[in-house]
Amino acid sequence: MPRHAQLNNVDHRDLRVVVERGVTWGDAVMSALTFPAEFRDVQSRYPIVFQKAADGSLQPVALFGFEAGENLFLDARGWESGYVPMSIERQPFLIGLSADGAPMVHIDLEHPRVGTDEGTPLFRPHGGTSEYLEYISGVLQTLHDGLRETPTFVEALLRHDLLESFVLDLELDDGAQHRLAGYYTVHEERLAQLDAAALASLHRDGHLQSIYMLVASLSQFRDLIDRARKRRAAAA
Amino acid sequence: MRCRPPVHARSHLSRSIGHVVIVGGGSAGWLTAAILAAEHGPAASGELRITLLESPDVPTIGVGEGTWPTMRDTLRRIGVSETQFLRRCDAVFKQGSQFVGWVDGGASDRYYHPFVLPQRHFDADLPAAWAAREDAVPFAMLASFQPSLCEAGRAPKQAATPEFAAVANYAYHLDAAKLGAFLREHCTQRLGVRHVSDHMVGVEAHEHGDIAAVRTRDNGDLHGDLFIDCTGLRSLLLGGHYGIGSVCRKDVLFNDRALAVQVPHDDPAAPIACQTVSTAQRNGWVWDIGLSARRGVGHVYSSAHTSDEDAEVALRAYIAQSGGPRAEDIASPLKIAIEPGYRERFWHRNCVAVGLSSGFIEPLEASSLVLVELAAAAIADTLPADRAAMDLVAHRFNALFTYRWERVIDFLKLHYVLTQRSDSDYWRDHRCPETVPERLREQLTLWRHRAPSRYDLTHGEEIFPSASYHYILYGMGFRPQTPVLRAAAREAAEDGFREAAALARKMLQALPSHRELIDHIRTRDLPRI
Repeated sequence: MPRHAQLNNVDHRDLRVVVERGVTWGDAVMSALTFPAEFRDVQSRYPIVFQKAADGSLQPVALFGFEAGENLFLDARGWESGYVPMSIERQPFLIGLSADGAPMVHIDLEHPRVGTDEGTPLFRPHGGTSEYLEYISGVLQTLHDGLRETPTFVEALLRHDLLESFVLDLELDDGAQHRLAGYYTVHEERLAQLDAAALASLHRDGHLQSIYMLVASLSQFRDLIDRARKRRAAAA
Repeated sequence: MRCRPPVHARSHLSRSIGHVVIVGGGSAGWLTAAILAAEHGPAASGELRITLLESPDVPTIGVGEGTWPTMRDTLRRIGVSETQFLRRCDAVFKQGSQFVGWVDGGASDRYYHPFVLPQRHFDADLPAAWAAREDAVPFAMLASFQPSLCEAGRAPKQAATPEFAAVANYAYHLDAAKLGAFLREHCTQRLGVRHVSDHMVGVEAHEHGDIAAVRTRDNGDLHGDLFIDCTGLRSLLLGGHYGIGSVCRKDVLFNDRALAVQVPHDDPAAPIACQTVSTAQRNGWVWDIGLSARRGVGHVYSSAHTSDEDAEVALRAYIAQSGGPRAEDIASPLKIAIEPGYRERFWHRNCVAVGLSSGFIEPLEASSLVLVELAAAAIADTLPADRAAMDLVAHRFNALFTYRWERVIDFLKLHYVLTQRSDSDYWRDHRCPETVPERLREQLTLWRHRAPSRYDLTHGEEIFPSASYHYILYGMGFRPQTPVLRAAAREAAEDGFREAAALARKMLQALPSHRELIDHIRTRDLPRI
């Protein structure tokens, strides 16, 4: 159960956070939220698809595996890839609202990364914020601003009918059929048929680049499937 | 001497169908306009012009409040958003009907007719297995998960389910007057239908008998190639102008009156019913349709068996008993007279009737709107290219819809003929063989030994499929005397029952309450994909 607290240099003076990547630290997840401004960095390593939240809204996510709890980039040495999406990087921190409504850094005190023995300190001996915490603040701010752009982007995609549901059927070497379902991706045929007015409007609103980043990210499925095969072969 | 048709008649037959004039608004007129326009109008790159003449004075009936699941496809076909439809028409989700008190009027006398098919309906003989069981579990509860959802007040889908998609098959309960207004807006603003708000004062006929134009009070003559009569019970074109009579079916279905009221919910957070509740009365039955802010309640009865005054007393008693306000706090009920039956012919020359002008029977299975959908779709899908082809299209339309009306009448009678009630002449009369259509009588004989199947309902698109007959037959307590099932057949049916139970458990967990989902949709759109 998460336990969120607004970070301060009195109660949390001695807290440390483990920054290594690993299963022990809660990184064995199949996907993570991303946002349009981050697509450029994410698409070179991970497929980006959309999933539906409980209220029906669509959210872009970077995929790390094909089943819940499977992160094919994570092994004993850490997270094997140059770029880790910000919604993973920011953990165990998050933005919460203070009593008077201002956004403030919060921490999940129950997160496995959080303790007083191991890891990087959050505050300097005299109470100032550490470099690490400054870095995290930057990540949180960028993430917060970036996620706010998502609904507008999704609305534009839906308005031009550019999303479709898809199913990926995989036959991995263990013979069993695996199915990735419940996700949505760019409808490339309709994208190719957009008229000049639609393209101009998407370009003007800054969405066109994001759309093509999404399309490009789908090539990463090849790598993801290879990783899945290798992992199963190694486990056999 | 060779006999040649006069030049005038030849050119009349080759005239193409370019302009359709619909006379009458309401849900029938505007649904027909929408379906035709979505298929053939400018929004679909078609050339058909559609004009709808709606009188600002004539009130629409306003009690037709239940639909079938077909309405989801119809609304999608005409391009409306389900979110907008739900909000603008005060619509909620309907998962079927529940019949209370039709068998013997006892305390546990209630059964469901859900929209979801019985589990494994096409692969296993569920009725035989059900009849062979020792326990008294009602057929619908055993064969389908949907009654469990209704009992628990669950919505048939989630907030994340896309528009018009279902987790459990569903239809709508709605405000029919608001549906008309909503469709009018969609037709005129998005589908290119021309709306003339005026009164019809006459009909101008061609020499050869076709209708040339309808005369309006202030907007001149509306000429057209095809005229659709959506003028309701008065049937101004088909009945009034052409004098086409009706086939009366009061001898089979006695009800010819209805008294309708709106009953507000005491508590705005009260649960919303998931099904139409139809409660048998001494001389008729009461419908109870729950919307978000109110219930539509009405007593359908036979004037040959009871008086209007007694019928009103029974209605008020029902309202009080079902948790409604006291009798004094309800407005005077709306009284409607209905002659149960349908037109001898629906399509005559270049005029076709859709809606109440084509016929009317009691709303026991909410067949009125679905017949509008079916008629409008048939006209749109088989629209003749020119006048020469029209008579043949009309002839087939008439045969098809006569068959459909007769099957509706058979199916409604099935709710009555199996009753064990004898507390009034009304129920005893319903069992008299002279009041049962011959086809139904024959089928009942066959059904004593095997369940209704595709051999009994032979049309490609039956209005009521065999599953519906199962739900009513076995809900009414009809126990077939089938031979003992082989073990494999029994297992297959029991698998179906187990599947229904497992699906019920899963869905009860995953689905929100009906009230929750409706309140959510008030401010949050359903996803489009």
